[in-house]
Amino acid sequence: MTNRRDFLKLGAASATLALAGGGTLTAAKELPHKGGKDFSPKTGKERAAVPTACWQCVTRCPAIGYVEGGRLVKIGGQPSSIRTEGKMCAKGQGGVNQVYDPDRILYPMKRVGARGEGKWKRITWDQALAEVAGRLKKLRDDGHPEKFMFHYGRMKASSSKLIKSVFLGTYGTKTVGNHTSICEGGKWTAQELTWGKHYDNWDFDNARYVVNFGSNCLEAHTNHTPVAHRLARALVERNLRMVTFDVRLSNTAAKSNEWVPIKSGTDGAVALAMCNVIMSEDLYRGDGEAFMTFCRFTKDPTATLDEKVAVLKAHLSSYTPEWAEKISGVDADKIREVAREFATTKPACVISYRGAVAHYNGNDTERAIQMLAAITGNVDNPGGRCRAVGAKWKYPKGPKNKPKAKKLKILDGFKGDAALPTHHMSHRVLKMIKDGKAGRPEVYMWYCYAPVYANGEVQENIDVLKDESMIPFSVCVNPFYDESAALADLILPDATYLERWDWEDMVSPRQIGEYYVRQPVVKPLGEARDFGDVCCELAERMGMPLGFKTKEEFVRKSCEMTPGIKEAGGFEYMKEHGVWHDPKAKPKFYSYKKKVSAKKLEADGVILDEATGVYWNWHKSKAKSEEEASQKGYTHTKNAYKGYVAQMIGDEVVAGFKPDKVNKSGYMELYSAIMEDKGFAPLPTYVSIPEHEAMKPGELILTTYKVAVQIHSRSQNCKWLTEIYHSNPGWINPATAAARGISDGDAIKVKSPVAEIETRARVTPAVVPGVIAISHHCGHWEYGRYASAKKAPLGTDDDPELKRKWWKDNGVHPNWLIANAPDPINGQLRFMDTVVSVTRV
Amino acid sequence: MNGTAKSILARDPGFPAATRERSNVYGFLASVFREEATADLLDQIEEPEFRSALSGAGVSFGIDFFDRPRQRLLEELAVEYAWLFIGPGDHVAPFASVYLGGAGGALWGPSTVWVRTFIATAGFEYRPEFHGLPDHVGVEFEFMQHMTSRQASAAERSDGVAQADCRRVEEEFVSDHLARWLPEFCRRTMERATLPFYRELAGLAAGFMRSESEFLAATPAAAC
Repeated sequence: MTNRRDFLKLGAASATLALAGGGTLTAAKELPHKGGKDFSPKTGKERAAVPTACWQCVTRCPAIGYVEGGRLVKIGGQPSSIRTEGKMCAKGQGGVNQVYDPDRILYPMKRVGARGEGKWKRITWDQALAEVAGRLKKLRDDGHPEKFMFHYGRMKASSSKLIKSVFLGTYGTKTVGNHTSICEGGKWTAQELTWGKHYDNWDFDNARYVVNFGSNCLEAHTNHTPVAHRLARALVERNLRMVTFDVRLSNTAAKSNEWVPIKSGTDGAVALAMCNVIMSEDLYRGDGEAFMTFCRFTKDPTATLDEKVAVLKAHLSSYTPEWAEKISGVDADKIREVAREFATTKPACVISYRGAVAHYNGNDTERAIQMLAAITGNVDNPGGRCRAVGAKWKYPKGPKNKPKAKKLKILDGFKGDAALPTHHMSHRVLKMIKDGKAGRPEVYMWYCYAPVYANGEVQENIDVLKDESMIPFSVCVNPFYDESAALADLILPDATYLERWDWEDMVSPRQIGEYYVRQPVVKPLGEARDFGDVCCELAERMGMPLGFKTKEEFVRKSCEMTPGIKEAGGFEYMKEHGVWHDPKAKPKFYSYKKKVSAKKLEADGVILDEATGVYWNWHKSKAKSEEEASQKGYTHTKNAYKGYVAQMIGDEVVAGFKPDKVNKSGYMELYSAIMEDKGFAPLPTYVSIPEHEAMKPGELILTTYKVAVQIHSRSQNCKWLTEIYHSNPGWINPATAAARGISDGDAIKVKSPVAEIETRARVTPAVVPGVIAISHHCGHWEYGRYASAKKAPLGTDDDPELKRKWWKDNGVHPNWLIANAPDPINGQLRFMDTVVSVTRV
Repeated sequence: MNGTAKSILARDPGFPAATRERSNVYGFLASVFREEATADLLDQIEEPEFRSALSGAGVSFGIDFFDRPRQRLLEELAVEYAWLFIGPGDHVAPFASVYLGGAGGALWGPSTVWVRTFIATAGFEYRPEFHGLPDHVGVEFEFMQHMTSRQASAAERSDGVAQADCRRVEEEFVSDHLARWLPEFCRRTMERATLPFYRELAGLAAGFMRSESEFLAATPAAAC
């Protein structure tokens, strides 16, 4: 048998010979399939390529729109993006349909007849803006700007700065609602309590092991394509090992090495039991031990490592795998196995999303998951769970002398709803308006938001929006006629995202900020106008000019002001290239360890808080004097976190984990004095879900999810996407179905304390027993013909494909069933807690 | 370069040289199977150091094989090459798709498209003057020659990332493709060959492929 060395000797001998040349292959001059170009299949001509940015979901990927004959014909990935690396998901590609939806609103429309009756007339922009400006000016001049409530769903980066900070700031209302509490606000609060500014990036480029609690990140994620393609690559090319805990076999669970079915709302129990295994088996030693220096696990932040370990072991001692097995249904040995693998494979990343956190106990589930990362040293490290890095744009701030803004106290729910709703409670806003005790807006305007459809308790949303005694005047800013627009008094036709300007800043998985712009790929159709431009004009009409006339001017000025972009060529560079990142920037890891210079500690107003070891600048807080600041201390001075400078740990002063929204110290706080002050357990603790505890025999838990080709509520008008996904039967386990005499395809009734809906059963073992899983996206009753089979007022018939729409089933909407109930700590809408009965019709 | 790559290089200073040797073996096999034997190829084979290495690798053409006049030998080898690999008649197809297409294996099958795309994705182009099929055995050996050469260059300039990338491509190409059909091609060639030349060199190719498969599996790309 010839050995390898003998073969290689042959290679060594031939090195001196000129082996026959000729050959067949040559190095390619350019890599094929680089992207960024497209050709007409009819004429063969290259299509105009316009760098822009997606807006289908919050990921906002850099994109390229391809234009042929003045028409947008295709959207593709941006090859120069370090976030997407040229990838683009189906939702992004389907964006073409947003522009040319035949049911799009192209003119300002004013209600005639009763609200919600569906009778409209076209009016001019001048008439529309005269009416809006007249009403807003009167409120402001009467001293009640807060009675103008502005409520947005998706508003980010330059749109947020222009509309919220500059326009609404100059106007003087802070009655500004968002939608974060129906999204993942609870996750953010838990992160603010632990490591400060919210958002976790998962470094799949370097991770070797992933534990996933309830994230379907291959299909839906707030940073979807940048995250999903990296995870897929790591799984395929690097044999990354991944274990997913989920009630449902999502495609992410299916692509994991292992799907571990788990009872709904019990992820926190498993996370705590994993922490128990890691601490009791001393698997925290090494990286975890080193990281614990930067953590707070005890009331006294200066505790020694031994003290921290002792407290943690004691706290976790009752959270055994056997205890967690009883609660979660996950085998105790499996919990041990995953805990050991997670703790001993370096680096490892623990990930989580709504499956784990949109529950009554979601806040502490996320805190327990943060603890899991902390005790294994997988925080802010290559391959771990990292604090997010995004672009930092400069922008024109508008008039210097802004009024002291006023607000109606209707953004954070009723007293007692939630202790720390740091991202507010948008799902409680309409209830607050209905209640009326905290006041009601006279003008309620919503932008890129679907208050009727996106929240729970749909019927109540409809009832409140319809009632003129509760909301005297309503304005909807929207390119489309959805369920909420149908209830407005005035509709301002917004430009789609492919017809407008923005600068963008979404988180980069590379830990290096990516700067990018959105520019119009085509001109707005009809009389549609970007609402940013509309705000500029409204401001002029109200005698409060903003210092720029259009969003384009705002973006141009931002480009000239932002370091790096300016030197690269400013606005013109961004128009041509779409994206920019600093080629010299290094990925941001371990920034909490950075030493802080004495100069910063000696700056005017900076004082040391002895109790926590925090250096902070009291000028930036609400304290009136240094004495007051010192006396109240960092923890109890309002807005003290805004003045955070550094954290003293032992003899060193480091950057630490900078707080946001709450006065936590610069430690990664797993022991939260803030939680303790509010009457909750300071260390992450498992609490069961009251509704689940009180379930009667035969009842099921409703769980909801998203699929890869739709966004939550604003993509069902896209025909390419809705052709793929338009029907959403309820997934039900064969055992659960059999007990109710339900067979696959049967019509079923799903009834909750709030409402009931009818759908069909999909009997499948891909969901745990005791649960019914119904996806979002479907069941529209407006939003045009592709979404609902219903033509919008003033819709056109110029889309020949309307005749080719073959599907009749538009699916069902689970939100009718879901109460607008909050997590008692952070206020997050508890999307996954609803108890229902399911019967065959 | 990452830490692991550094340690491998530190441990085995001959690493770039060994990769260069692999590249040369692939290059040799490419020139054997790409077309009829040329005078240059025979000159190389007759070079004493190379003949000795061939012998060490178990190749034996017989003592008098190279004794006949050079022109006559080239003629005989050209006839043998045509009979074996070009046809007509019951020849040994030198194309991957014939072996990988199952019972209905045919020219220009899905695996041909796979090879063409794979090679293009790795950053190579077929020369415009090449009019053969993209999955010819000679092309595939040549592709591995280029990839291993690229890897050796990366190793020589201590670029561990590029080196690991090359290794990943090699491993994928060999395990997913080349090693799946080459043994059968070699077996048929050895069975049908009338002269020792192609019989012996097909044996060498088969043995080298086995050795490569084991080597690539035993030292995964991540270790580079």
